[in-house]
Amino acid sequence: MKNIKNILRKKVLILDGATGTELQKRGMPQGVCPEIWCLDNPKVLKSIHLDYLNSGTDMVSTCTFGANALKLREYGNFDVKKINRRLTAIARSAVGKNCLVAGDIGPLGKFIEPFGPLDFDDAVDIFKEQVKGLIQGGADYLAIETMMDIQEARAALIAVKEITDKFVSVSMTYELNGRTLSGTDPVTALVTLQSLGADAVGCNCSAGPQDMIKFILEMKPYAKVPLLAKPNAGIPELIEGKTNFMMGSEEFSFYSKELALNGVNLLGGCCGTTPEHIKELKRVVSKIEPRYRLKKSISALSSARKTLVIDRNKPLLIIGECINPTGKKVLREELQKGKTSEVRHLIKEQESKGANLLDINVGAPRVDEKQMLKGIVQLAALQTNLPLVIDSSDPEAVEKALRVYPGRALVNSISAEKGKLKKLLRITKKYGAMFILLPLSDKGLPKDFNETKENIRFIFSQSKIFGFTKDDVIVDGLAMPISANPGAALETAKAIEWCSNIFKTSTVIGLSNVSFGMPKRALFNAAYLAIAQSQGLNMVIANPLSEELMNISKAADALIQKDKGGLLFCSNFKKECFSNINPSLGEVTFCDKIFVAILEGNKEDIKSYVQEAIESGEKAYDLVHKVMLPAINKVGELFNKKEYFLPQLINSAETMKIAFTFIKPYLSDNKLLKLQKKNVVILATVKDDVHDIGKNIVALMLENQGVLVIDLGKDVPAEKIIKEIRKHKPILVALSALMTTTMINMAEVINLSRKKGLDYPFMLGGAVVTKSYAQTLKVEYAKDGVEAVRVAKKFMRI
Amino acid sequence: MKIQFFDSIHISPPKNKIYSRLGYAENLTVLTWEQRKKIDENIEKALDSVSLKGAGVRIPIKAITSSEIKLSKGIIFKSKSLVKFLNDCQEVLLIAATAGERVGECIRQSSEGGDMTYAVILDAVGSEMADSALIWIISYFDNQVKRENKYVMKKRFSAGYGDFLLDNQKIIWDILKLKKIGVNLTEKYILIPEKTVTAVSGIKLISR
Repeated sequence: MKNIKNILRKKVLILDGATGTELQKRGMPQGVCPEIWCLDNPKVLKSIHLDYLNSGTDMVSTCTFGANALKLREYGNFDVKKINRRLTAIARSAVGKNCLVAGDIGPLGKFIEPFGPLDFDDAVDIFKEQVKGLIQGGADYLAIETMMDIQEARAALIAVKEITDKFVSVSMTYELNGRTLSGTDPVTALVTLQSLGADAVGCNCSAGPQDMIKFILEMKPYAKVPLLAKPNAGIPELIEGKTNFMMGSEEFSFYSKELALNGVNLLGGCCGTTPEHIKELKRVVSKIEPRYRLKKSISALSSARKTLVIDRNKPLLIIGECINPTGKKVLREELQKGKTSEVRHLIKEQESKGANLLDINVGAPRVDEKQMLKGIVQLAALQTNLPLVIDSSDPEAVEKALRVYPGRALVNSISAEKGKLKKLLRITKKYGAMFILLPLSDKGLPKDFNETKENIRFIFSQSKIFGFTKDDVIVDGLAMPISANPGAALETAKAIEWCSNIFKTSTVIGLSNVSFGMPKRALFNAAYLAIAQSQGLNMVIANPLSEELMNISKAADALIQKDKGGLLFCSNFKKECFSNINPSLGEVTFCDKIFVAILEGNKEDIKSYVQEAIESGEKAYDLVHKVMLPAINKVGELFNKKEYFLPQLINSAETMKIAFTFIKPYLSDNKLLKLQKKNVVILATVKDDVHDIGKNIVALMLENQGVLVIDLGKDVPAEKIIKEIRKHKPILVALSALMTTTMINMAEVINLSRKKGLDYPFMLGGAVVTKSYAQTLKVEYAKDGVEAVRVAKKFMRI
Repeated sequence: MKIQFFDSIHISPPKNKIYSRLGYAENLTVLTWEQRKKIDENIEKALDSVSLKGAGVRIPIKAITSSEIKLSKGIIFKSKSLVKFLNDCQEVLLIAATAGERVGECIRQSSEGGDMTYAVILDAVGSEMADSALIWIISYFDNQVKRENKYVMKKRFSAGYGDFLLDNQKIIWDILKLKKIGVNLTEKYILIPEKTVTAVSGIKLISR
């Protein structure tokens, strides 16, 4: 491994190009198992390895991309280890000892928990079987490649690391939107995989070299390990009816040079590339000095889809504390019953209120913490993009959770407790996590600030043995209740200040401890948070559902200039993006208020505005005709001009409906009811069609115009509609259908109606219905609810 | 013919597409901060009721005439437009995605409960999530076939369009064994849950 690292300091390592496409060129038929075909045709495989060697590659990859138990099973029963061993031996015999052989490991073709059905440890075992074969065959290096799922990449990497200390690279495949199919971005993959022990991280396949430059540029500032790129020969293009990889070797090498200049240390090709591409790449890249300067450490956490960089100069990070059964009866009882709905709720709630990380603690009586923590961590990994904090005092529970967590987690916490210190440090290191350093020892709480410092130094010195740096550590300032020790808060503040300015680490406190035993705890918590922030605190374990606390923390960030110029604070309290519909509410009448409430869809206040208007002497009939109808018609206008879209239109219509329902009893001489009786519209979704949302919108819109809507529902037979027409004598029959196959049932209704001598106007609507279809049936057409109102008005009787 | 089932598909919600489906027009639609916040909250809430599942299968094309496609196992699709669509393809890819039962149930409850605003948001979220899951499945297979020097066409064709009649839905439903992911088919070939989509795409060889 040292050898490869040494080589990388001196030059950009040239990898080989595509094997699969080369095999096809050289006679491998479609539909066969490439690995088995290569064993039957070793000369062909050897010739490919040799051609790459002759083109100047420093390393060839074994033809073992699909040589895992799951993939091979599709073709029959094979000895996985033997196949990997033999294919590696073919590569070795082809290139001799002066070229490196990379044992190639591809995806299993199944998603792994929590993203799929395959058990994580089963996946690790499947990879291990392949890795053993590759090593037995003489692989110098293991290349995990074309991973689209970060969890699968982790499983493969853990498999390698649990078997060998050989150099291992992991490359993910990104879509052109810059994420894997599972949603992981390059920086997040890098943060997760390099902390888990990958010796090189990068990208291959999917994109051409020009598209990969941006992935490399994103990763380089965070890279502790060399970066790898194996792009395709461009993106296949369709020309004269044939699809082809269009990028020739010259263009490929041009962009590859850019990749090397921007920091790629291992460079080769993937689909569509040939020995010619590699030869040209070698010619261009061999003159380039490698950019090997790497970051020594990085303070960053990740989930499967997001990275959180921890920077002491940036605003406070909130670790949501709510998933902890201590003192929470509902949560505790749920966990004891093995249920998770409260956890799901708390995950969503905390995230929506601005938590940056979520603490997961499931320790409670009658709860199997080891299994439960693992399960909840997997659940949270699906439910949220926020990185997780694994909170347990049981090292085994921590290990189980870290093993399956598809990101870089934070362990809460590691103290100087002798029985656990080394165990937890080993586990945390193995899974690449960061940890909260809790300055407690077997003696318990430190008696003063000096002992706190001693404990911090001791725990950190032990962690250094395992390879941790200060960037991997967050020191807990040990917030203690002032009810027990009035000076405790100041002691904690001293510790925070010392860690931030002298020891130079990030700091965190469990905020609510400080107010334990005090009244008005939320006040104490918020006040102390601001004090701690001023001392340098950059993370806090707290309740993000407390609006007071969240607001104070933002204000404090602005005051201590971590939120420069208070920009974040201001944006948080910004009331409007823009609005050009609000009249000034200086001297507004009740009528104005009603008009604006309908316009804005203010369902909460409309009733009281109408009531106030009536109490102040406004006539109900005038309110309907001079305020409400003009308001809803204005909404229709805005919708037609696309200034309003559907939710606004419906919201306004619902507001109008509330107003209408409320005002009905106030309408003297029942004018409205008379009007409604004269204006009946029958609505139905035709037979065999179960879609009715569009019809329901039309019903809502028509009702607001004083129409009496008889809604027959969905999947309504023609006979039933005819019966209702006879009964209600409507001004209009409105039919809806969403599918081409059910649209024809509209014609059936219309024809039947005419046959029965019922000459009533019809209006058609629905996703597949067109104006021309309606015209062929000589009926009206409405493309949406607003148009339906316009059509209905043509038939309305006043 | 190995069917690949996806019991749990996780994708980023296509917020822009959801807004577009609801009629939002960039540079035209005017939203106050409160309205946007409320709609975003409703979209988030609606996403909780979505549970994406899917299935896909590759089937080699045995023969193509001017009006039908013959696949292995005696499967035949009759449609001139599908024949045109699958020109030069070696295989067809049959795919399906569903947003699950709950979203439909929530739409019904909201509609009946008088909250049509939320109902239309749920409707848009369900449709777009199912559609995005279909795109995700296509990308998944595209990644799988790349090593075979093939690619999956980004375009897709669904039963019920043109001369590819809706009764083909039954063939697709049977082949993909969609019951396994909770999708049923009515006698009139309507997929239940409502927010379910199926499609045919093609797999082509990349020329050398």
